[in-house]
Amino acid sequence: MSTLLGFQKKILSEIVNPDSSDLVLLARGLGLRKIICSLMQIYDSPHSLILLVNANADEEGGIGEELGIMGVVKPGLRIVGHEMPKKDRQVLYKKGGLISITSRILVVDMLQSDIPTDMITGILVLHAEKVTALSLEAFIVRLYRERNEKGFLKAFSDQPEHITSGLSPLKAIMKELQVRKVHIYPRFHQDVQESLERRKADVVELHQPMSEAMTEIHHSIVQCMTMTLAELKRSHKMLDLDDLSVENAYFRSFDVIVRKQLDPVWHKVAPKTKQLVGDLTTLRQLLTYLLTYDSIDFHAYLETIIAANTTNEKGVAKVHQSPWLMTDASNVIFSVAKRRCYISTPKGKRREEAIDIDQDEWDALNEAEGWTENPAHKQKKKKWMPDNIDPVLEELPKWDLVAEVLQEIEQEIIQRPLVIGTPGSNTVLIMTSSNHSANSIRQYLSSMDYNKPSGSRGRKMMEGKLWKYLFWKGSLSKRAEKDKAAAAKGDKNTFEKADDGISEALRMKDRQRQEKSAARRRVRGGPPVGSSAAPTRLDKAQQAAVPETMDILIKEEADDLAHFFSSRQAIVPTTGGSSKAPEVIDLEQMPAHDDFSSILDSDYDIHYGLIPQAETVLVRAYSDDSDDQILSEIRPRFIVMFEPNPDFIRRIEVYRSSNPGLGVRVYFMVYHLSSEEHRYLAALRKEKESFERLIKERANMMMVLEERRSNRADTIIKTISTRIGGGGTRTLNNSPSQVIVDMREFGSTLPSIIHASNLLVIPATLTVGDYILTPDICVERKSLPDLIASFNSGRLYTQCELMSVHYKHPVLLIEFEEHKSFSLEMADHLKNYVKNTGKFPTRKGATAGEVDSTRNVQSKLVLLVLSFPRLRIIWSSSPYASAEIFNELKLHNPEPNPSKAISIGAEEDNEAGAGINQTAEELLRTFPGITAKNVRYVMSKVKNIRELCELDLKDVQEILGVDPGKSCWEFLHQGGGGQK
Amino acid sequence: MAAAPKPPVVQAGTGNSIIVNPCQRLNPLLDCIRNVSKEFGDIIPDFQLGRTTCALFLSLKYHRLHPEYIHQRIEKLGNMFSLRILMLLCDVTQHQDAIREITKTCLINNITVMVAWSNEEAGAYLSSFKAFEHKPPDMIKERLEKDFNSMYRTSLTTIPKVNKTDVETLRSHIGSIASVATASAEQMHNLPGLGQVKVRRIKDAFEKPFWNNS
Repeated sequence: MSTLLGFQKKILSEIVNPDSSDLVLLARGLGLRKIICSLMQIYDSPHSLILLVNANADEEGGIGEELGIMGVVKPGLRIVGHEMPKKDRQVLYKKGGLISITSRILVVDMLQSDIPTDMITGILVLHAEKVTALSLEAFIVRLYRERNEKGFLKAFSDQPEHITSGLSPLKAIMKELQVRKVHIYPRFHQDVQESLERRKADVVELHQPMSEAMTEIHHSIVQCMTMTLAELKRSHKMLDLDDLSVENAYFRSFDVIVRKQLDPVWHKVAPKTKQLVGDLTTLRQLLTYLLTYDSIDFHAYLETIIAANTTNEKGVAKVHQSPWLMTDASNVIFSVAKRRCYISTPKGKRREEAIDIDQDEWDALNEAEGWTENPAHKQKKKKWMPDNIDPVLEELPKWDLVAEVLQEIEQEIIQRPLVIGTPGSNTVLIMTSSNHSANSIRQYLSSMDYNKPSGSRGRKMMEGKLWKYLFWKGSLSKRAEKDKAAAAKGDKNTFEKADDGISEALRMKDRQRQEKSAARRRVRGGPPVGSSAAPTRLDKAQQAAVPETMDILIKEEADDLAHFFSSRQAIVPTTGGSSKAPEVIDLEQMPAHDDFSSILDSDYDIHYGLIPQAETVLVRAYSDDSDDQILSEIRPRFIVMFEPNPDFIRRIEVYRSSNPGLGVRVYFMVYHLSSEEHRYLAALRKEKESFERLIKERANMMMVLEERRSNRADTIIKTISTRIGGGGTRTLNNSPSQVIVDMREFGSTLPSIIHASNLLVIPATLTVGDYILTPDICVERKSLPDLIASFNSGRLYTQCELMSVHYKHPVLLIEFEEHKSFSLEMADHLKNYVKNTGKFPTRKGATAGEVDSTRNVQSKLVLLVLSFPRLRIIWSSSPYASAEIFNELKLHNPEPNPSKAISIGAEEDNEAGAGINQTAEELLRTFPGITAKNVRYVMSKVKNIRELCELDLKDVQEILGVDPGKSCWEFLHQGGGGQK
Repeated sequence: MAAAPKPPVVQAGTGNSIIVNPCQRLNPLLDCIRNVSKEFGDIIPDFQLGRTTCALFLSLKYHRLHPEYIHQRIEKLGNMFSLRILMLLCDVTQHQDAIREITKTCLINNITVMVAWSNEEAGAYLSSFKAFEHKPPDMIKERLEKDFNSMYRTSLTTIPKVNKTDVETLRSHIGSIASVATASAEQMHNLPGLGQVKVRRIKDAFEKPFWNNS
């Protein structure tokens, strides 16, 4: 473990005092984890109880490991998750030491007094930027301060960009954490500068131009984004236009900006607008994938997008399609992306006119790129390639660059070998943005051929990929046929896979007709929409044309392939082995008989077994602070940054500075004039700006904090003042009012607010209801999206049924969100739309449909009230209002009895009070045959869902009963093992 | 609501129409009750929506001026009808206190509150109460039969962060839910669009145990 740098030591000395509580904001990549670990090492002792809160699984692992390296081993960092039983937790807390714990469990344990809150020496809160008045961490701090004034609280954050929204975001966080001091260390802090810039970097910046096809796609995607943005602005006048630029749209935080502006009306927003927001996300993702995925993966991803967009859940063509799919630009994206993989030439009667036209142009382009068509290519063509497909297989330009850089490094190593005794190793570290691109680089490097001209060195790998892709498509079409056949059979036999001759024939006929019409459209209009023109104004048929045609073309192609492969399958066993190159045989034989996983596995085996450079080249994806660990472990002299990443540059700076005498060379690769370059620069700028803002806010804060203390009683969330020790208000009235809250509700904000409004929160695992207010009143809380979802799934009906059976006053709490509008009406701006634009009579039909769907929730509500006359409804505009209503309802009423509430409705009591894996439970509930009544039983029978999936039909039937068991098992296994 | 000259009053019918208390004659809400017939009748509540169903109407604006009005109406209603509805028209911005107080009163008096934000919405509610009088609750009950594709999609999208494009990817590359459950993380990493976070969420959902062992 390398020692701390100057500025790190300084930070540590500033915050180490266990009597004070601090908030530390550090620029990413400057070794926050190291500081936290050092701090924990200092505090570690069996007499203290230090809690680490808000760390995700990776961070827990990383911190634990790092502590281990630093020598904090007995017992080191213990991790408490929902798997750990309550009794073990209690023992663990008593023993003390360093414990990392999930916020949710900590809250529950604090409320149930399983953890001796007054014994806690201190709490470390990670990701302080996520703390808000409503978050669990704020709840924890409140509970902590209620009983423990002496303990410290240290909060950390390395995401200054997140602390920028609102009037005084820093103050808000400090208030929730009840912290008085803040330390801000940006990269431009003087101490940091001094520590890091003593030695200048040896950085080689490589600006790789994109290939022409990529430039074209890149350009088109940006065009689509501009168009989508324009559309979004048009549909929502109140959006703040300044923040909505394409530049901003490169960032994930853009979604947050848009959502924040639309939030007050989000449930009123038309589906079209929601789609536009979603589209921007998709497009941004496409930009990234364009630069990191190889041509085949990219193309396959595009096809998946089309497939997901053209059909809705039921396999019927969708009415509202994303507008960008209908533009010229998207057409360019799809056709060029395909061109990068292969050219399919016309065969037989099927013609793809639109694509053929620019064949010549394409040849020219290929030539211009130096990728000359090999004249002998046609003969050399692999036998597995269908006749009408001509592989192009463009490779990512950076791959070549990596190959060259590696060669250069190799020479360098030979020329200047490592002197024994100096730090560093000859390992070359290649860093990429994702595991996916790391994998493809690994494959590329292991299979590349230096002798071939640049641009086709990875040909072998790409051919393998193409094969897999073609096969995948073939099997897709087979599956589609099966699905259609099954769907045609309809009602009860939906899960039957059997092919139905008649419907098959019908389908074929249908498809042919569609094809014809699609072809006609093609010839007539070509791509119909100018990118800047507003697609809403176009008539429906034309609108649908582009994606539909695209979809049909794709399906058509898939069908061809399916035919091809089914005819091939007979040939393979006879020809295999003798005439083909070995690696092709492997690839060819396996997938025909096995599923996808084995293709991948064997692929790895083939490549990994042969990698000669395995010891010297390491490819990794950027991750969090654990990268520091990697650097200090491997001590590379050569680092290749395949994609730019400002955090990692700092890590390298820290690494270099903490390893004096080590010459590090960094190759920094970026696509010239691409979104990647742009994003990198903008990210740097953004971080700097947000730091500057935070520093400014801190400068003005002293007075504000003073004011906060005097104002405390007025704030809506009434923080239990530390001056009234032990919550004095409560001791005044002898019996504290209590509310029993279901464990699962701790994911929501209401329990925290209930607690803040002076009610005692008692966590319990409830079978019936979410909140028990009095022995008679049982409340089921539904947020608006929850309400709609549980109406659709029918779960609400069952819940109300159960509540009505067991309680005198079953109550449904419909809770709207704060800052969002308090109204069920979703379509009112649509109504206005109809009024204003009487001249577009066609739109009226669509609008009427919209109104119908919103009325749906209301009419379902009516039906619910009619079915349960005793059900009461609480309409609450925010969690705060809910808490107030709860308070009101509890007045002069007897207190509920927790043990009774738990036992109600729970037939087998043995699981009561246990922690639950909620996602798994939700997932389980969606399976057919599983109802609200038997879900607990199933959960007690199998350990996890995977186990359920691995059971035989008979075993499932044993658990669920014959019929439900059958439908459940068949649902789980329909679709088979992938490729089949 | 104040009614000016006394209208002719018809005796409450048995049948298929909403019976309206004459005191609601000038209420603009009446125009918004569509698709069901309505007639005036001598009844105690404001609307009689069925044999056992009745409704009172209250606008929050009116309530602010005459807070005692609704209590009198409720008192008069006594114990009649098994399903009693208070149709609350939320037409003020400061609604929190009023709604809280009304909610409590109604809970004590066995009245169900329905909140509407416009006359049209309130009208739609009242019409649906009448129209659905004899409708079985099948529409909101748990249904078991749905087609496979949508169920597959609903299942996997319950996992946080997983969207429909990912579902399509999983379905085409891996296949059935059982195969997804047994697929390795490595295999999923290789699929387009699935990053570390998503893969971890999927793995957690399928492989973490339902319960801890206590």
